[in-house]
Amino acid sequence: MSVVERPSGPDIAAALSRVATRRILVFSPTIHFRLSPGDRALVAPGESVSTGTPIAERTPDAEVVDAGRLDIDAALGKNGRAAGAGRPTQDAGSSALWREGRLEPGELLPEKRSQMATKVGQWPSGAARQERRRPPEPGKWWVGGGERRGKSGRNRPTPRVGGTLLFEKQGRWRAAAGEHHQIVESPVAGIVREARNSVEVTIEAAGAAIPGAIAAGEPSRGYLDVPRLTDGELWASALDVGRAGAIVVAGSRISAQAISRARAMSIRGLIAGSVGQGELRDLEASQLRQKASLAPSVPFGLIALDGHQRRPIATPVLALLAALSGREVAIVTDPPLLIFDVSEVPLPDLSPDWIRVRSGIHAGREGRLLDTAGLYRFRSGVHLEAAVVRFVDETDTTILPFADLERFIF
Amino acid sequence: MLVGLLSRVELTDPELLAELAGVERPTVSTLVATWPRLEARTTPPRRIAVLAGSRRQRRRLEEVALRAGWLVSGGSADEMDLVALSRVVLSTQTAAVLLGADHSPGGDERRHLPDLAALTAAAKRLRPELTVILAGGAAAFESTFAGATDIGPAHVLAAAPESPLRSAVPEAVVQSSVVADPVEAAPPQPPAPPEGADPGAEATAWVADVPAPDDKVEGQSKASPEAPPAADVATPPVLAAGRDSAASTIDAERGVSPQILLAPDAGAGEPAGASLQQVLEGLRALPNDSRLGVARSIGSLAYVLDRVVEVVEIGLQGGLRARSEPIGGGHSAVVSSHACFANASFSPADPSEEVIDSVFAWSTTALDRHRLTDRLHDLRLVPWGDADGDGAVFRLAAAKAAFSRLVDATAELTAYPMPALTVAAGGIFASLPPSVVALAIADLGRRPGIGQLVCDQARMLGPLGAVEDEAERRRLLANLADDLLVPLGCLVLPAGVKSGRNAGQLRLQGIDTTSEIELHPGAIQVVDLPPGRTAKADFDFRDTVRLGTRGHHFSVEVGGGLCGLLVDLRDIPLRMSDRAESRRAALDAWQRGMWPGVDE
Repeated sequence: MSVVERPSGPDIAAALSRVATRRILVFSPTIHFRLSPGDRALVAPGESVSTGTPIAERTPDAEVVDAGRLDIDAALGKNGRAAGAGRPTQDAGSSALWREGRLEPGELLPEKRSQMATKVGQWPSGAARQERRRPPEPGKWWVGGGERRGKSGRNRPTPRVGGTLLFEKQGRWRAAAGEHHQIVESPVAGIVREARNSVEVTIEAAGAAIPGAIAAGEPSRGYLDVPRLTDGELWASALDVGRAGAIVVAGSRISAQAISRARAMSIRGLIAGSVGQGELRDLEASQLRQKASLAPSVPFGLIALDGHQRRPIATPVLALLAALSGREVAIVTDPPLLIFDVSEVPLPDLSPDWIRVRSGIHAGREGRLLDTAGLYRFRSGVHLEAAVVRFVDETDTTILPFADLERFIF
Repeated sequence: MLVGLLSRVELTDPELLAELAGVERPTVSTLVATWPRLEARTTPPRRIAVLAGSRRQRRRLEEVALRAGWLVSGGSADEMDLVALSRVVLSTQTAAVLLGADHSPGGDERRHLPDLAALTAAAKRLRPELTVILAGGAAAFESTFAGATDIGPAHVLAAAPESPLRSAVPEAVVQSSVVADPVEAAPPQPPAPPEGADPGAEATAWVADVPAPDDKVEGQSKASPEAPPAADVATPPVLAAGRDSAASTIDAERGVSPQILLAPDAGAGEPAGASLQQVLEGLRALPNDSRLGVARSIGSLAYVLDRVVEVVEIGLQGGLRARSEPIGGGHSAVVSSHACFANASFSPADPSEEVIDSVFAWSTTALDRHRLTDRLHDLRLVPWGDADGDGAVFRLAAAKAAFSRLVDATAELTAYPMPALTVAAGGIFASLPPSVVALAIADLGRRPGIGQLVCDQARMLGPLGAVEDEAERRRLLANLADDLLVPLGCLVLPAGVKSGRNAGQLRLQGIDTTSEIELHPGAIQVVDLPPGRTAKADFDFRDTVRLGTRGHHFSVEVGGGLCGLLVDLRDIPLRMSDRAESRRAALDAWQRGMWPGVDE
């Protein structure tokens, strides 16, 4: 192939306009925390949250509970006595809500408890306290006796269960409730835009973020560790206990071994160019097992910046990560983002004609766009619109399909 | 893109640009700014939660929702507990909930319906943005939703004629996709059959084109229950090809978002489920949805060409299979049917094991399962990338897998004879060599017969389908018909060819040449016949075969294309080994025959 002279400004601009753009930074991103039946939001729309603020309480073992009659009239009856009086335990129903609604300070469980795993009765914020005084409606937090699950034994103590109301039928409410609860802390500072029990909490995060292609695991937070990579890779053995609490940049690909090791070393997250679907499946299964055991675990998240097939991290992104090294960053999974809240971060200098190959046999390579090559016959006799590119450290040019290229914008 | 295109025209042929613009010395920027635009877009995938009292009912509803192009999360009360069902409904991925039951619910589902209705109503209160569809017997629980929404009474959509759900609420959904010639169409009022029309044959067109007083959508038609049957001939299943969705029509009328809809049950319509499918499709699709636009364009094309046309469109967000057939005296009307499937995407968002298996089944390269899954996911992330070399081979496997899922899901269309014209549409076909696109159609559309194969290379069928006026669309297609579709070739697919050394002879008589070719059973043979040429093909089979009719000797006129004439003497259906290596070898051999540059 011959060396092609770089075209003049307007020509290259026209050629560049045909290259897909990739935004390296997004500002004030909106992030989502999906909730399930039994989960409640601990924040209200408009509320400001900082890192570590409890934003939701999950009920991982939620099951259907007969919450009974929860309206005042039905609860007290026309003659003023409890409607449930004299009924079997399963049907007795009214007192639970109003005890729950008027939970006395003395009933609170001891305050000195891990925030990761709480039991029913803790009210982390004043907003939640207000929430209790609302009339029953779908999604409302409910606390009641464990016998309502229909599992009470004669000599067994009946634990209290908590969750959210599901629906009302013929005056009786069903709830999704469980014994165990987990607090979800915000990994970022920001403003709550939406908070609905059983549905989701949405936060507009303060700061900026690097978008990823894939995320897995849980939202997590830690200091950013950018170790020296060998041929664009980080060996799994480099993930030692000294990196506990860090979010580590792991190079072009995350292996299953690296994920297991990182979790064992209390590393908070991994960032890489790509991660295979098999590794994602392993991680998901591992997390499900951990949730099923109800053992509290340190949140762990991972982000792949490009996709599933192996390719190195783009140099502008790597430069940005290097500039953020040592700072607190957060991985969020919905959408996949690496969020950081710093007032200043040096942006890498990028030539406007700097491009990267995002797919195909040259995936991950970077260089400069020189010219267009029109409709070009590629391998397998496929005709595609082509660009002339010179890769870094090469003198020859390469002709590539425009669709395989990307360029970076901030 | 338009600027680039016009700039090229300006450089190469300024006079042509002036002719296009209708002015002397036009400037590209002015043209781009002033030319009218026709916009069509693919509707982003949306998810519907299907709730039913029984597994049987859930499956029926899911099938209908899938045919309407929804991503489906289903659950029935006899299989899942209420927390799991709530999780499905409350997920922010879920845009709508379909709660359905039989017209007269049986005991197995009736006992669960109150719980499901209460659960759905509660979900609606938690998520007011949720659209709820109560289908069939579930409509009896409409009162459960009082207070769940403040938009007034529920809207009734497309109730079946026999359904008690019919109400005085304006009905905006087409019951039939019989579209008549707009030139011959009856005037808006009073409805009267065209003069001189054959009362029997033309009645269909006339009835179909009578605008009902409450039919607000121009160009759509509504066949009343009193309408005579469309035709005596066997016609494809009748579905809507309305250009505006039912939901959007009601939006326009009422200025509100219809969020509680009453719909017919999963068995209503012809074929069963067609009425509910219309409602769900109307809710899902944007008014200018390009996928439905392809279906509409095919209807118009069938009229313009006066031929049976079938299209298979494979895209990133789903796939479409549609068939249109001119009917009636003088072929003045067209019956169309179509089905959209999100799962027929060449790279579904969350591919199931079945999807991975289907790509495996059509792949000619040996890949391990994880690597294939990774490639399929990356194809979704960069759908236009990696389109050459082994990337092209993988894309072909993904396209064929999607095609096969589409064919499996539309058995009622497969039951019809081979159409006169088969169109391959969608970006994935546009980026592949024409010969392998023809091979894909031959591999998967295995019906005996003779038909022309074309490809919508310029991907214009979708945008043209967004043209609202049927007559205008037909005029456009009539003008563009010769240039719009790239002719791939003519496919001859006989059934009943017995194995052996020789299946017979083909004598192809062109304008100036005659060639004789020996036919080999189990092979796909290609005879050069350039685009625009026609030839007389005389087939002399050794055994009796089925090629429209049964016989030994057939003489047909065939048209040319980029691949020429394809004589496919393989089995119907295609028989391949269950062993992966043997299957791959067979596919590879056929593929290499049609794609000589595959290893370049």
